[in-house]
Amino acid sequence: MTSSKAHNNPVTTEIIRNAFNAIAEDMNASLIRSAFTPIIYEGKDCAVGLLDENGDVLGQSLGLPLFLGNLSLCVQIVAEMKGWDYYEEGDVVLLNDSYIAGTHLNDITVIMPIFSNGQRIGFATSRAHWLDVGAKDAGSPTDASEIYQEGMRWPPTKVYRRGEAQEDILNFMRANSRFGDALIGDLHAQIAAGRTGEKRMQGLIERFGYATVTAARDDIFAQSSALERKAISAIPDGEYTAEGALDNDGISDESVSVKLTVRIAGERMEMDLTGSASQTDGGVNCGYTQTVSALRVAFKLLVNPERPVDGGTFLALDVVAPEGSIFHAQEPAACSWYFSSLGLLIDMVVRALSSAMPERAAAAHYGDSMVTIFSGKDTRNDDAFFVAVEANCGGWGAWDGDDGQDCLINNVNGSFRDYPIEVFEHRYPMRIAKYGIRQDSGGEGEYRGGNGSYREYHLDGDTNLSLWFERSVTRPWGLSGGEAGLGPKVEIIAPDGSVRDDLLKTSAMALKAGSIVRVATGGGGGFGDRAQRSEERLESDRANNFVT
Amino acid sequence: MAKYKVSADIGGTFTDIVVEDNTGAVRIGKVPTTKENPALGVLQGIGELVGDPSEIDFFVHGTTVGLNAFLERRGAKTMLIMTGGVSDTYTIARGHREELYKLHYRKPEQLVPRSNVHEVQERMAWDGSVIHELSEADFKPIIEKAKAESFEAIAVCFLHAYANPAHELRAREILKKALPDISVSLSHQVAPEWREVERASSTVMDAYVAPVVELYLHTLKAELGKSGMDKTVHVMGSSGGVMTDRLATERPIATLMSGPVGGSIGGCELARRTGLKNLLCVDMGGTSFDLSLVVDGQPEMTSETVLEGLPLLMSIVSIDTVGAGGGSIAWMEAGGLRVGPQSAGSYPGPVCYSRGGTQPTVTDANLFLGRLGNDSLLDGKMKLDSTATGNALTVLGAEIGLSDREIAEGILAISNAKMADAMRTITVGQGIDPRDFTLVAFGGAGPMHAVELARELDMTQVLIPRFPGTFSAWGMLQSDIRHDLMASHIGIMSALDESLLDAEFAVLEEQGRDKLREENVPEEAMTFARSVDLRYQGQEYSINVPIKQSDSIASILELFHSLYERRYGHSQPETETEIISVRLAAIGGFEHGDGGAAFAPAHGDPKVGTRDVIFDGANHATPIVKRDQLAPSKTMASPVIVEEESATTVVPPGYTIAIDTFGNMLITAGESA
Repeated sequence: MTSSKAHNNPVTTEIIRNAFNAIAEDMNASLIRSAFTPIIYEGKDCAVGLLDENGDVLGQSLGLPLFLGNLSLCVQIVAEMKGWDYYEEGDVVLLNDSYIAGTHLNDITVIMPIFSNGQRIGFATSRAHWLDVGAKDAGSPTDASEIYQEGMRWPPTKVYRRGEAQEDILNFMRANSRFGDALIGDLHAQIAAGRTGEKRMQGLIERFGYATVTAARDDIFAQSSALERKAISAIPDGEYTAEGALDNDGISDESVSVKLTVRIAGERMEMDLTGSASQTDGGVNCGYTQTVSALRVAFKLLVNPERPVDGGTFLALDVVAPEGSIFHAQEPAACSWYFSSLGLLIDMVVRALSSAMPERAAAAHYGDSMVTIFSGKDTRNDDAFFVAVEANCGGWGAWDGDDGQDCLINNVNGSFRDYPIEVFEHRYPMRIAKYGIRQDSGGEGEYRGGNGSYREYHLDGDTNLSLWFERSVTRPWGLSGGEAGLGPKVEIIAPDGSVRDDLLKTSAMALKAGSIVRVATGGGGGFGDRAQRSEERLESDRANNFVT
Repeated sequence: MAKYKVSADIGGTFTDIVVEDNTGAVRIGKVPTTKENPALGVLQGIGELVGDPSEIDFFVHGTTVGLNAFLERRGAKTMLIMTGGVSDTYTIARGHREELYKLHYRKPEQLVPRSNVHEVQERMAWDGSVIHELSEADFKPIIEKAKAESFEAIAVCFLHAYANPAHELRAREILKKALPDISVSLSHQVAPEWREVERASSTVMDAYVAPVVELYLHTLKAELGKSGMDKTVHVMGSSGGVMTDRLATERPIATLMSGPVGGSIGGCELARRTGLKNLLCVDMGGTSFDLSLVVDGQPEMTSETVLEGLPLLMSIVSIDTVGAGGGSIAWMEAGGLRVGPQSAGSYPGPVCYSRGGTQPTVTDANLFLGRLGNDSLLDGKMKLDSTATGNALTVLGAEIGLSDREIAEGILAISNAKMADAMRTITVGQGIDPRDFTLVAFGGAGPMHAVELARELDMTQVLIPRFPGTFSAWGMLQSDIRHDLMASHIGIMSALDESLLDAEFAVLEEQGRDKLREENVPEEAMTFARSVDLRYQGQEYSINVPIKQSDSIASILELFHSLYERRYGHSQPETETEIISVRLAAIGGFEHGDGGAAFAPAHGDPKVGTRDVIFDGANHATPIVKRDQLAPSKTMASPVIVEEESATTVVPPGYTIAIDTFGNMLITAGESA
């Protein structure tokens, strides 16, 4: 096909649609393979987006689901703040301000405008979790009460200006992180991903011409939007609600309520968070854009999950999040653990709509990232400072037709993988003596909730421990008569044998060499009446020791 | 007495046979695969082409027996033994999800259920020092269970066994003593690399296919022996080298990708003969499109792959696959036109096969546009129904407001673009400029799309090998014996002792030499290729850097920085570089002819007719020529369609076609070469 063809040729449109997605995949591969920290290359705590000149999504690859559609919003908000002409050829704009990007300061958004013949034709964007951005504690503090304790905060900042590296800024960034070299390395990885997108997008424009590509884009968006409206129409009109609570905000003991109303009217869906808690001292707050992203994830779990996301997706979704609530936080709210509220919120959407869309619904999963952070000095390696951040897998909810899966990463963390014991022990001065499936932790039912996991660390040296475990108050609920799964549990055993098991959240707690830390995550909710469970499944549970 | 070299590519439907005699002349055959006893099909093919099997001097084959046993879950009853406290790592399988927006996600099914994963107490530290001695008493109940329940294979994977294999080796002694007939696979031998889940998964795969592969090779050898073929049976290995049946039995996982690798190795041989050192090889069949690279005459390798969601650590020729083939179906969604990835396969197949297919496919589009004739398949033995194809295209086109011709061209354009995107991913995506490469196309459908694929990437030269339909089998005949050895070696390059590195390679070289000797490779035919896996400190993914014995640390680093720069557009020479592993390919070279005398065209007028073919929306009266009768030295201008029994090559206007002395067809952009 040539560029002289008429606009809106369906063949050209399809070729361009496939190319957008292929470009995003290549950007993602480039980012992951050149990243410097395991949270990106093992955890896949990152996302890429190829956007058009208006900041709408042309292609995105699998990445962290929670970043869904967020890169687009960032590009558009920065343009609102500074005008579209702010983006100049050769710029690399960096941004992590929680009240713009919505997430915690560790998530760095990189925006690179793409130009062709002097005209801005799109953006190559990415977001990745940086290990350390200079917060009061290594990694992320669990007890920060203001954003200023959570690390460096960057409003839109040009680290490359018209192709020129801004060395002063880069040096400043490097100097303020506990792992400055890795930070610069990860920035380069994100820039490499951007360059891949830039090169390929320019190639596409060269081949088809700008007018053809934009005409194709309009068709692609229209196709997505039509499919989406059709899917929403199939859901019965009405108001659906759900309510739950976080254990606490990491500082006080009070639970934090999450309230959701979903309204379906014809081809539109509204998600309203009115009634949810006001922003809290502890870091369970997030910016509005991230709330929108989380609700898009929930929406995507239920509406056309198999279709790629583009600028035509989510047009039928409206979001109401009251200003000053945990879901639309204002300065100086702390945001380190923003994803706990959002993980619960996503499950709430599924719960609210489970009666309207039973074929897509499932009981609750174990819920949160369940994070352990170890930091200290590695005596094997000249006392070099280390930080190990891990998210733990747990049980997923059962559904009408099958058991929930055992030991799977939580829904907001996508393709995150656990840390291999062998790699972990090479890198950090401790031993993982046990790692396994936590028997009996899934909720019972005709279909059983998945089991959680346990992991036991033996510390070689004095080590600081931070914990962030959730969902002990609102336990993973069952569906259609299924029972709730167990909540999480942490035990800390001092060298003298004394045990603490009352902590699920703590920040930089000092532990002596020889201490043992045992963490266990919750199970998923069950589905249906346990009396209906088939003999075959009971037998398999016993044979495989999934239950006692 | 004539002597023959014979290769057999035993696929799911057909067994391709290639025979090379001692003058270098090549003949090919295709016989139905005899699934129950594949030797019968092979013998039938050999009988037709060679006559007396005792005249065979060298025999190599590619097999999917191991792969199929896995895919159909017909492998051995297997048990896994891991270190006490952590055996669930195998079942947890790292806890990630491959599909993100799915509440009903299921993990890939493991080959060993949790009830057959057992633990013994033992523990190595990260540096290979012993924390807990192996508890030999723990084997007792496991051995009893293995006896009572008739297990056929046991995989053993202990933590940090790559750093110190003592406990795994002792475990085998204990198991073999009590269970002499059982097959035991040890993780440090199958995949001496860190990451226990991936290593356990690889070891289980090895154990799982071992008895099946062993029985198969035993039967094949016996059958061939009965017919008078008493030479060693060679098997194509996933790493691109051949191995004897005995070594294949020892390391069955190495046969898993036996089939598709032949094409890449054929590519390497083409590079050697033609002097075209950089090739992008594409193999297109009915359902899939396989891509691989030959860079500077060498195949691109990878050390890890994933099969049906299960990770495997092994040295393997890097082959990417996308779901695009002749059978890919065109369909509509929300007013958009899509092609694939669903395939009509052979049954019901494309509409034109008249086997009940109603949805138009890529093959139908090729037929409608005249690229394929009604009599093009299997030299006319299979008739195609162009009327049915035309009707199906008209119906689909009407839905979207396109004529039958437009929709046919659209289907080809979309599927070509999809394949071209995959070609970009393995080239541009890795910092490689495809314009420096020649496209080599084979498989039943590859030559039909090759020139247009090349055009998509601005590649100016396409090579269609002689006998593209059986090219993989031909490639197997061109390979050498190859063993890939590796050792984990984690350290900082700047602090590395050069002599230590050299000593490590010397150990691997000795191991490699032993293996080659076992296969009767003469000393003078042995070569050893060294490489190291490097990365910047803190990174996970490494880059494989080929090195020479004489290279200094500084020159190795320089090479790494430049390879890194090429791939990612930047490098960080100021950051420390880590070495992860040392790798050695031990190669036992066979004598390969240069194929100089191999090609003699039949005499006759190659042109057999003219057909209307549509290129870029316009009709072109296009000559149809027979490949077998094209002589070297003369060039031809396009458009032209070149037909042969196993493939059809389509050359749109604007190209020059030449046949080289080996019988390869070279297609070059431009009116005259």
